[in-house]
Amino acid sequence: MIGLVVVSHSPALAKAAVDLALQMVGDAPPPIAIAAGAGDDVIGTDATRVAAAIDEVASDDGVLVFMDLGSAVMSAEMGLEFRSSTCDVRLSDAPFVEGLVAAVVLAAAGSSLDDVAREASRAMEPKQGSPGSAAEPPVTQSPETETDTEPGAVTADVTLVNEAGLHARPVSTIVKTVSGFDASVTLEDVTAGKGPVSAASLIAVLTLGSAKGNVIRISATGEQATEAVEAVRAMAVEGFGEE
Amino acid sequence: MATLEQLVDWLGRFRDLVNEKQAYLTELDSAIGDADHGSNMARGMNAVLDKVGEPTAIDELFKTVGMTLVTSVGGASGPLYGTFFLRFGAAAGSVTSLDDAALSAALRAGLDGVLARGKAEVGDKTMLDALVPALDAWDAASTAPAAAAWAAAEEGRDATEPLVARKGRASYLGDRSAGHLDPGATSTALLFEALAGALA
Repeated sequence: MIGLVVVSHSPALAKAAVDLALQMVGDAPPPIAIAAGAGDDVIGTDATRVAAAIDEVASDDGVLVFMDLGSAVMSAEMGLEFRSSTCDVRLSDAPFVEGLVAAVVLAAAGSSLDDVAREASRAMEPKQGSPGSAAEPPVTQSPETETDTEPGAVTADVTLVNEAGLHARPVSTIVKTVSGFDASVTLEDVTAGKGPVSAASLIAVLTLGSAKGNVIRISATGEQATEAVEAVRAMAVEGFGEE
Repeated sequence: MATLEQLVDWLGRFRDLVNEKQAYLTELDSAIGDADHGSNMARGMNAVLDKVGEPTAIDELFKTVGMTLVTSVGGASGPLYGTFFLRFGAAAGSVTSLDDAALSAALRAGLDGVLARGKAEVGDKTMLDALVPALDAWDAASTAPAAAAWAAAEEGRDATEPLVARKGRASYLGDRSAGHLDPGATSTALLFEALAGALA
């Protein structure tokens, strides 16, 4: 499991962001270390704390570092020079909260540093595509997630019954579940005409924005396609354990 | 020529100047930044002088200085000034005095560190706008290079007033950052005022 480091000017902000992200995962969260504040209760960042945090969660799987703003980036870059560990470490350009949430979910599911870093960087997409967003919605999706349903795929349709639809918590359950099967799983919102997208991508599934009552088409190919589709279908039928 | 004692004196003078001008630096930073440059630099340099003790070599002295700034300042000036002093010390080496050429080389190494760390250029309304002309003036001076560097640093500082910030917190203000001196260039001018005083 990769390690995560959270660099913030404010220890309170870092702790709150980590608490929020940890709500997404159960008993086996990824290793997370905080490097926040400087000196004695100074709002700021300290490169030696970043280095210590990286070393604390370092493993062969690598470390992904999230930063809030300004000098946090400079301190993180300097922390890379001060650390004693030698594993692969990346500084994420992801938005602080959204990126951390995505990373915690994917890291807990055992995703690689490459995959977590890529997904975290895309974590703004659901917000950018929302109504009233100041930014243009992303027009195209990357090839990894724009997956046409293949002929011969195992398919099932299910109607979303839980009140909030495919929001972050059920999506994180789906991402974790499909990672346990030898299968390539996609989800398509038939009602809204969105997708298909890879069910292994938290951000891609969130961009569907699927609401209660929408019909979701689950498709899979691979050795365990049938089992994977059935597992996702069963969770959806149960409303992902929600109201 | 600078001895270890003169370099310690440099740091003491810089601490005194940033403490004396703390409110002014913060006022400049409140116009275009997050109003902490004065308090950050004063806290950092006070911590430095608490830690310096009795160094036996220039590289050892400036490693302490750099690391203390990195851990105590908090804002971007921590890694920037921290990197400047760490590189200065590494370039100077385990010696107890520097001639003018070696001092220039150490200052240049510090500048290179700031360039790499901050990824800014001259004209971006940063400390570089004082640092780069100061070192150019140092190298061009036939006599009294420290005094020439101080004068050039102050000119560079004054020239930041009409500039639009392109780096750091001030860059969020865009055109509104024009019309104010840059706080980082202002503290860098104090650094060269302190050096000129210590070497005089």
